Amino acid sequence: MTVSHIFPHLLNGLSLGLLFALIALGFMLIVGVMELINLAHGSLFALGAYFALTIIDPSLSWFTAAEDSYTALPLIYRYGLALILAPLLVAVVGMGLELCMRRTYGKKAEYGLLLTFGAALVIEESIRLTWGPTERYLQVPEFMTGAMLFAGLIYSKYKLYAVVLSIITIFLVWLFLERSPYGAIIKAGAHDSEMVRALGINLTKLRLLVFGFGAGLAGFAGIVMTPIWGLRPHVGIDAVIPAFLIIVVGGIGSFWGAVIGGILVGLSVGITGAYASDWSLLSMYLLLIIVVTFRTRGLFGKKSILEN
Amino acid sequence: MDNKSGKSNSIVNSKRRTLLKGAGVVSAGIASGFMGPWVYNRVYAAASDKPILIGLTSDASGQYANSGASDRRGMMMAVAEFNAKGGVLGRRVETIHFDTETTPATGSRVAERLITRHECAFLIGAVSSGVANAISQVAQKYGTVYLNTNSSSPTESGKNCHRVKFVWDGNGTNFAQAAVKNAIDTYGKKWLLMTNDYVWGHNTSAATRSLVEMFGGDIVDEILVPQGTRDFSAMLLKVQQASPQVVAAAVGGDDQKAMRQQVSQLGLGQNMAWINNQQDWPDVYGLPLDNLFGVFGTTWYWKLDLPGVAEFVERYQAMYPDTRMRVPGNVFYNGYMATRELLGAVERAGTTNNGKVIMELENLKVSARDRMQHHDAYMNPNTHQMQQTIYLATANQTAQVPDDMFTVLSQSSPEDVRDNGADMTCSLESLADTPTYEM
Repeated sequence: MTVSHIFPHLLNGLSLGLLFALIALGFMLIVGVMELINLAHGSLFALGAYFALTIIDPSLSWFTAAEDSYTALPLIYRYGLALILAPLLVAVVGMGLELCMRRTYGKKAEYGLLLTFGAALVIEESIRLTWGPTERYLQVPEFMTGAMLFAGLIYSKYKLYAVVLSIITIFLVWLFLERSPYGAIIKAGAHDSEMVRALGINLTKLRLLVFGFGAGLAGFAGIVMTPIWGLRPHVGIDAVIPAFLIIVVGGIGSFWGAVIGGILVGLSVGITGAYASDWSLLSMYLLLIIVVTFRTRGLFGKKSILEN
Repeated sequence: MDNKSGKSNSIVNSKRRTLLKGAGVVSAGIASGFMGPWVYNRVYAAASDKPILIGLTSDASGQYANSGASDRRGMMMAVAEFNAKGGVLGRRVETIHFDTETTPATGSRVAERLITRHECAFLIGAVSSGVANAISQVAQKYGTVYLNTNSSSPTESGKNCHRVKFVWDGNGTNFAQAAVKNAIDTYGKKWLLMTNDYVWGHNTSAATRSLVEMFGGDIVDEILVPQGTRDFSAMLLKVQQASPQVVAAAVGGDDQKAMRQQVSQLGLGQNMAWINNQQDWPDVYGLPLDNLFGVFGTTWYWKLDLPGVAEFVERYQAMYPDTRMRVPGNVFYNGYMATRELLGAVERAGTTNNGKVIMELENLKVSARDRMQHHDAYMNPNTHQMQQTIYLATANQTAQVPDDMFTVLSQSSPEDVRDNGADMTCSLESLADTPTYEM
C-alpha cells in the first residue's frame, strides 16, 4: 500500500467527514440548547430536499402559465432560490414541531423522544403522500455536474461543490454562534437556562428560534446531500443515525466536537470503505465505542446540564 | 397395629405402583408424542362462502419498501381479476398484509402470525432473499404454500429450497448465464465484482465468479457493499485504482440507487463496462437515463412487442390510476404472475389442499403467450423455480414515449440460462414430511 494509493482515500474520507459534519450541525444545535434528541432530524433533512424539488420544478396545474414562465428561468436561479427558501420552509415546520414539544418540557426525556419519533413518522408519511414513494432526482445546475480528473483519478464535481458549501456553512454557523450576540444568548441558554431567563431573555422564543434554526440546517443538509445519496421518502434515516453518532463522538453541545466528530466518522468510513469495505458502516460504531470507552462525554464534551 | 400397618403399607405400595405405572404410561405417551409423527394435519371449515385468505408478506419499509409496494400491487391485481370472475372455487379471495420490513426476523414473525393467528391458506411475496428464506422456513413448518415472487438469490431454489416454496423470479445464476459469456467476448477478461453484503449479493457474485472463471476471465477484486451504504466514493475510487474492464454489480434496492447516482456523477458508466446482474424496475423508475448505464438483466419489460403486453399495461393503468409509476415493471409482473398461477392451480386442483396445490404447481407449464415472454415457461419440479425467458437490456437513449427507459438487447430461452447448480443443491422435503391442510 503506497502513499499515492492511500492519499485519495484520505482526501475522500476528509470530504465525506465535512459532509457528515454538515448533517450533524442542526442536530448538535438542538441537543446542545434544548437538551432534546430530535429524532425527526432525518425527516426534516428529507423534507428540505423535497421542498427544493418542488421549488426547482413545481407542478402548478392550477396555473400553467405561471409554471411555464417560472420553469423557463435558468436552473441555477431556481436552484439558488431552493437553497434559500427550502431551509426556511423546513425551519417553519421545525418551529411548529417545537410548539408541540412545549408540553413535554420539564418532563422525562422519553416524552420528547417519543414526540420527535412520532413527528418523524408523520413527516415521512406526509412526504410519501405528497411526493409519492418512488425515487426522485434533485436537479443541480449544469456546471456542478460531471467529473474532473485529479492525480489520475476521477472525482465528482458535485461532491467538491458540496464540500465547499459545507465548509462555508460550518464557518457561517460558527461565526453566528461565536461572534454574534444571538450566538452568545444561545450558548448561554445551553449552559444555564435559568440564569438566561433571570436576565430577562425570553427563553421560550429562544427555543423556538433555535429549533427552527436547527431544522433549517437539517433541511439545507438534505438539499446538499440528496444529489449524492438519492431522494426517497425514507432517506432521512440515512442522516439521523450518523448525526446522532457524530454528536456523541464529538461531545454533546460542542460545535467543534460536531465538526471533528464528523471528520473522524468520514475518515473511518472512507478508509474502511477502500480497504475493508464490509466494515465501512460498522467502523463508525466501533469509533463510537472506542471514544465513549475513554471519554464518556465525547471528544470535546463538557459536563453538561444533562448530567445534573 | 402391625397388620393394619402392613395392610396400610400394602395399599400405599399398591397405590404407588399404580401411580408409577400411570406415570409411566403418561410419560410414554408424551414421549411418543414428541418422538413423532411430526406431521400433523389441519382441516378448517371450508364452507363455500368462506373466503380464501392469502397473507401478503411484502416489504413496506427498509431497503426494498418501494419494490415491495410494486410486488403487492401485482398480487392485488391478480386477486381482483379472479374475484371479478366470481372468485376461486366459488369463494372470494381476500388478502391481508403485514410489513416484513426487509428484515428476516420480521419476516419469520409475520409468517408465523399470518399462518397461526389469521389462518391464511397461502403466503405470497418477497424481494429480499434473506426475508424469503426466513418466511419459507416457517411456511414449511406448517406446510403453508409460499410464493417467493421477487427475490433472486440462487440459494432460494438451491440449498434453501422447500417443498412449499415456489420461486418466480429469475435468479442470479440465470442472469449471469445470460450476460457473462457475451460480456467477456465484448469487453474483456478483467472483471471486478461489487457485492451487496447479504445472501443474494454473495450468491449472485459467486455464480458470476464461477462463470467468469469458466470462460477464462479473471476476477481482480471483489468489493463488499454493506446494506445501507449511501456513500460509494471510497469504493468507486478503489474500482478506478483496480481499472477493470468489466464491473459486475450485485447491488440492490436503495443501495443500488445511490450507487448508480454516484457512478453516473463520475462518468464511470462510460469508462468501463457495467453488468448489473438484475435491474428491478422500481429501483430506476423516474431516474435520469444517465443513471441507467451498463447492461442489466430483467424478466419482463412493458414495451415487449408481444401479444397481451399492451392490454396488461392498460389493465395496470386502469386499476392504479393514481400510482406515480405509470407502467408496470418486472417486480409487478412477477407478483401478478405468481398469484395468478397459484389461484389457477387451486382451481385446477379443485381444492385448497396444500399437497394437491403443490403438485399442480410442480407440473405447471405456461405458454409464452400467457407469460407475455418470448419462450414457454415451466416450473422445475426439482427446485421449484420458474424456468423462463431472461432478457438483457440497457438504457434507451432514443425513447419516443415517456417511461420507455429500456432497450432490450437480447432474450435467452430457459434452457440457455438454466441454473444447473440449483438442481444439485436443492433437496426438497417429501410431501409425507410436509404437514397437510385444507382451508
